[in-house]
Amino acid sequence: MTTLHLQYYAQLREQAGVGAERVTTEAASLGELYRELAQRHAFSLPADALKVAVNAQFSDWDRPLEDGDTVVFIPPVAGG
Amino acid sequence: MKRFAIAADVIDTDALRAELQDGGNGGFCVFEGWVRNRNEGRAVDGLEYEAYAELAQSEGERILAEAGALHGVDDLCCVHRTGHLKVGELAVWIGAASAHRDEAFRACRYVIDALKHRLPVWKKEHYLEGDTAWVACHHAHGEHSRTFAPDYTRQTRLREVGTEGQARLAAARVLVLGAGGLGSPALTYLAGAGVGTLGIVDGDRLEASNLHRQTLYDARDVGLPKATLAARRLAALNPSVTLRTWTEPLHAGNAADVFADFDLVLECTDDMRNRYLSNDAAVVAGIPLILASVYQYEGQLQVVEAGGTPCLRCLWPREPAADAIGSCAANGVLGPTPGVLGAMQAMEALKILLDLPRPREPALLLVDLLQHDLRRLPIDPATGCAEHGGCAAVARKALAEAQRIGDVDRRFTRLDEAAAAGYRLVDVRDAEEIATHPADCATLHIPAAQIAERAAALGEDRCLLFCATGRRSRDAAERLRRQGRGETYSLLGGLAALDTERARTHS
Ligand SMILES: [Zn+2]
Repeated sequence: MTTLHLQYYAQLREQAGVGAERVTTEAASLGELYRELAQRHAFSLPADALKVAVNAQFSDWDRPLEDGDTVVFIPPVAGG
Repeated sequence: MKRFAIAADVIDTDALRAELQDGGNGGFCVFEGWVRNRNEGRAVDGLEYEAYAELAQSEGERILAEAGALHGVDDLCCVHRTGHLKVGELAVWIGAASAHRDEAFRACRYVIDALKHRLPVWKKEHYLEGDTAWVACHHAHGEHSRTFAPDYTRQTRLREVGTEGQARLAAARVLVLGAGGLGSPALTYLAGAGVGTLGIVDGDRLEASNLHRQTLYDARDVGLPKATLAARRLAALNPSVTLRTWTEPLHAGNAADVFADFDLVLECTDDMRNRYLSNDAAVVAGIPLILASVYQYEGQLQVVEAGGTPCLRCLWPREPAADAIGSCAANGVLGPTPGVLGAMQAMEALKILLDLPRPREPALLLVDLLQHDLRRLPIDPATGCAEHGGCAAVARKALAEAQRIGDVDRRFTRLDEAAAAGYRLVDVRDAEEIATHPADCATLHIPAAQIAERAAALGEDRCLLFCATGRRSRDAAERLRRQGRGETYSLLGGLAALDTERARTHS
């Protein structure tokens, strides 16, 4: 089990109903974590449409998770 | 009665005079403006006036209404010429008739003064690439620009700027795509700073729903083309700036060529397709690009350097589907959000042009205005496009693909006009949208998500797909073309554009 600090941007924030949350998860990688969250929050965007960053660095989806990681999910936005 | 007109032919003054004759009028005052044999100190044998007709018409009517209300004059006529005029020819005629002479004199004087400062009558220069440069003639802002000396001392006082920096700005050419929520502050600051040439690209007309965030515009301008309105406003702000306008969006066939005429490009549109097009064109042309976009209360900013790496596609390789990413119209936005991000784009532009200190490692900047959270995420240039042949190769391929599919957008002012032109109309909106906002024309209905499977229902007909904004229909039309279907088009701007057009012509 790892405890993570999550941050959502744009429509992910809107769909989650919060900008940030702390979760404890059994997910082993970022990809697994996103699948879990997508189900819980009914996220409409697939992972391959997003960028993910861990501790302020962009990351691959297969990266393993560590206790205390700050994970940020970023969709592209187009408003102007 | 009040009547304003732009005329391409000789003005019939007798007819105008007759129109103003009324038993209640005891005074009639006329002003005639003639072409002189000298212009700006040089001998001339004639002049050519061009007006932006729609804009000139609305501005002229407004001036007559103001003169009438201000001086209590009901009978006013004004005609302004366009085209080639010889020395001595009548360029403008103003007649004011009233019960008493004083009001007639005053109203007449008001109209000619206001026309000289406000009527968008310009000397127009055409360029081969299809854009238009509006060079203010003496009737519009020229008179003002001769007497107005810009004062940049508040910025030249900065040690990093100085007179040398100001000269750099004067020599700089910056292209701004999108004169909306981001473009308004970006253009305003760049014009104010004295950037020598500003290009403005915007295919939209002003809508009332733009005004909460698009600070370049006035309520009275709803329905008029934004690129032209923006140019007029910026010419008034700083007459020393040269303005070039495009009232149609760029496309894969011309974007890189247009970019090559500029030193720097700002991507300020609200359109994901356009962001990818700008990215690819800037990478291919080797021009730095400053991308920004917003969502509700937050924004993203990315500077793509002249070398092109890393670029937008390094982060998000493919353009997401039009209905997946949201928009200001669908999700809402608070006005200052694009205001902040657009101002940041202007700041980045000035930093690049003036070579001010700035972080050199590439990054995506995330701005959360609710939580005061500003986050820089460094982008590793070795990931992304680097794994697919590099940004330049990826961008060239994407532009070539877009050109192969071709431009699917078609502009119409009414749906029945498209039907009469032989297009089969296909509504690709969802059932609920159609129920709340039905199209006023017989159409086939296939939701965008199902277009590929149900393409057979379209037969061999030439089709015009439409949705609320023109984005889903464009996606769907391109999907069909990629499948090999020809003669498939999308209504540019969607039903929203038709509504704007209707509001304009009926107002
Ligand atoms: Zn790239």
